[in-house]
Amino acid sequence: MTTVALPQTRSEPAPRRRRLNAQDGAAYLFLAPWLLGFFLLTLGPTIASLYLSFTNFDLLQAPSWTGFDNYWHMFVEDKRFRNALSVTFWYVLLAVPFELLFALAVAMVLDKGLRGLTFYRALFYIPSLLGGSVAIAVLWRQIFGYDGLVNEGLSVFGVDGPSWISNPQYSLYTLVLLRVWQFGSPMVIFLAGLRQIPQELYEAASIDGAGPVAKFFRITLPLLAPVIFFNLVLQTINSFKAFTPAFIVSGGSGGPIDSTLFYTLYLYQEAFAYFRMGYASALAWVLLSIIAIFTAASFFSSKYWVYYGDEGR
Amino acid sequence: MSNVSRRSTLKLAAGLAAAATLPQSVWAQAARTRLRMTWWGGTDRAKRTQAALDAYQKLNAATQIDVETIGWSDYWTRLATQVAGGNAPDVIQMDYRYIYEYARRKALRPLDEFMPSLINIADFGQANIDTGKVDGQVFGVSMGVNSNGLFYDRTALERLKIAPPDHTTTWAQFAEKAVAITTAAGKRGFFGSSDAASNEPALEVWVRQRGRQLYDNDGKIAFTRDDIAEWFDYWDKLRRAGGAVAGDLQALYRNTPETDMLTTGRSAISFQHSNQLVAWQAVNQGKLAMTMFPQGGAGSKPGQYYKPSMLLSMSATTPQPQEAARIINFISTHPQAGAALGVERGVPPSKGMRDRLLGEVDELGKAQIEYISLIATRVGPLPAPPPKGAGEIQENLRRVYETISVGNAKVPQAADQFMADAKRTLERA
Repeated sequence: MTTVALPQTRSEPAPRRRRLNAQDGAAYLFLAPWLLGFFLLTLGPTIASLYLSFTNFDLLQAPSWTGFDNYWHMFVEDKRFRNALSVTFWYVLLAVPFELLFALAVAMVLDKGLRGLTFYRALFYIPSLLGGSVAIAVLWRQIFGYDGLVNEGLSVFGVDGPSWISNPQYSLYTLVLLRVWQFGSPMVIFLAGLRQIPQELYEAASIDGAGPVAKFFRITLPLLAPVIFFNLVLQTINSFKAFTPAFIVSGGSGGPIDSTLFYTLYLYQEAFAYFRMGYASALAWVLLSIIAIFTAASFFSSKYWVYYGDEGR
Repeated sequence: MSNVSRRSTLKLAAGLAAAATLPQSVWAQAARTRLRMTWWGGTDRAKRTQAALDAYQKLNAATQIDVETIGWSDYWTRLATQVAGGNAPDVIQMDYRYIYEYARRKALRPLDEFMPSLINIADFGQANIDTGKVDGQVFGVSMGVNSNGLFYDRTALERLKIAPPDHTTTWAQFAEKAVAITTAAGKRGFFGSSDAASNEPALEVWVRQRGRQLYDNDGKIAFTRDDIAEWFDYWDKLRRAGGAVAGDLQALYRNTPETDMLTTGRSAISFQHSNQLVAWQAVNQGKLAMTMFPQGGAGSKPGQYYKPSMLLSMSATTPQPQEAARIINFISTHPQAGAALGVERGVPPSKGMRDRLLGEVDELGKAQIEYISLIATRVGPLPAPPPKGAGEIQENLRRVYETISVGNAKVPQAADQFMADAKRTLERA
């Protein structure tokens, strides 16, 4: 579910079908461990969960078929499901654009040829490596807690700040901030993309009298579109699947008052706190569908705004 | 790699020959009986339990006990997964809340056949044996007796020159005291009491004092909308008056000693269970003491009751039932186990063990044993075990009360909401 193929730059003629030869056999042999893992540990359980989503499986007793009961409950009766969806959509809607904007901005600064570029690149990348970790979520709790760093800072100006992470008005935004702070991985990809843009174009534009703003909108942005698209799809999927930050920051409750109840956290609660494995499986399949729809929509829309250099207009 | 030299083959053969002549005891070592035991709890409990099991293994060299321990909330996930996967540990620490569910689903083995031959707990007294019965059969052996305990920071109250609450303090007096503590301390983010509105045991004491229960024998809600409305109202008023911890701070409590309002320095009083005094003192700097939850006043019924803090159960699928029974017996009755475990899981139900412990335990242990005897005339009967879904109702309670404490909801609407949520939860469970 995580891997997204980089958009193909050109559609090549399909290779003619040929019979398996000895080399293919060797390839499959070497792939076998991975294939085994894929079929047994990924595909098998995924299909099993589709079956379980139509049952009332609770771990202790054998599952019994309940038809569409789980889906009916989800879409018709379950208020927490609706709330979890809305929390997750808000999170994705806020976190992804801000994260990408921030990543792009930093990438452009670094692209200007800063001294010690590799050092800064590594430095900015670190949050991405750490961001999803438990330790950072714990740190976030401290920073945005009642006696945390943020309130210490505010108290200098005489502001008595609330406990940001446990106040339903602000708690989701602290999680968005945590996401934006992990701008490193899209930044590195943006940086690589910026390096690919031919310098001649900028030089030519300068000669024609284009300013930096024009250059950005006329050259950088269009040529970077495939990379933006790639980052957008990847970060959207990752944001839909975000779990650790909410789990740790809210102590697994999604609270206060379900204000940080991410979809995945709700799914986890139903499965592992209340043992409704059948319902949780149904939730998982709905999440999979939502992510698939969003990804498909992105790919569809990309026709209209992503320009690949070798398409020739 | 593929050609094994003649020399190495010879070495291997020599090694095998040598192994065959090894003394018998080494083989016995390898063929030891292995069992697994699991429990929830913190590091202090882990150390004590390990010490007790070490003592058992010293006396029974042929047995090896592997242990698994984890915190409360993950424990049930893990246990359910293990039971579903057919690899449940042989000896299982059980909770009163879950024993009916596990016993009725045939995940536990009845212990009657081992009593009294292997498990001899006659000196528990019938009441303490009965707490482990489900449908007439014994499925769990009580590990300790506990009850609710109102913990307070003695050091802080002495400094503020405020007399601590005691077992006669009523809810109204408690509220006054809590506000007085907040005022006397006059410190940002520090309050007299933790906000116990979402604390299910505290709510239970409150409704029992009014002659009701949380759940009846059929597992239905057995208190009224007005009970919960008045409960919310009590805490809402106390919180607004500054006597109880502010909503967004109380929301940080995660049912662990480390996140409790007392431990984090937010309050001087907290609502807990009596056996947890040991665990709470371990992470608190001030000296802690304990008394009963506030009283209902004239004409009220006893709110508190004696409850098995934990039970020891045997997996239905254990291949070593005899040995598991011996371990359960050792932990429950042997002096060495008693010395190692102390009163960390509550006051031992065995009279022999309790009498021996009184001479050995520290101040905290003594306080606990004395507390359990002090309340003997002030407790009511053990209620029916909570129904399936009760754990989720605790979450409903927290969520609904938070709509008052950190949201803008009003008490009457929240009370309606809670009753509706609880009903729906029980229907789905």
